[in-house]
Amino acid sequence: MEEETTKKAEMVKLISAEGFEFVIDKQAAMVSQTIRNMLTSPGGFSETQQGQVTFPEISTHILEKICQYFYWSLQFASGKETEFHIEPEITLDLMMAANYLHC
Amino acid sequence: MAMYIRVKREKTTYFIQCDPTEKTSDIKQKLQALTDQPTDKQRLTLVSSNEILVDSKTLAEQKVENDAVVALTFRKDDDDFEEVNIARPEDFTSFS
Repeated sequence: MEEETTKKAEMVKLISAEGFEFVIDKQAAMVSQTIRNMLTSPGGFSETQQGQVTFPEISTHILEKICQYFYWSLQFASGKETEFHIEPEITLDLMMAANYLHC
Repeated sequence: MAMYIRVKREKTTYFIQCDPTEKTSDIKQKLQALTDQPTDKQRLTLVSSNEILVDSKTLAEQKVENDAVVALTFRKDDDDFEEVNIARPEDFTSFS
């Protein structure tokens, strides 16, 4: 088992439209190409230093689903093939957010 | 990664990577790094069953599964724990 993975530096905070905070592993957040670019680009995004990204246009419910998707994606990549359940009523909003986040 | 749980308090959710064989105390250690609250001031409650998790037991023993929601509460100054408080987004209006 790898040593202490839950250090603050390895976590990022994603903030929804209603101001709810999701603290997730950087590795999970980087499933999103958009977030990966924000966190790794040399352009000096303030997001890079603070490890915090605000999404004023993504609602809490959708952002949580996105975070669950990140972790599901990591599990899937490591060979644990389960289904990812999406409630029909959030499909459109989720697709729009996924499109924006490139994930 | 074996699994993760969602630890919630007020408007914050921590996604914590863990293993079914880890004990509750191991999870509290991880939360200490994130919340700056010592492990003995933390209490974890499995939301689906409303059961308080015991430090010496493993997650598997207490039926804490992948994607489970666990409420985090802190010990107050008068030594009691605060009530479980998980904010709902419906109660807050979006800025957009």
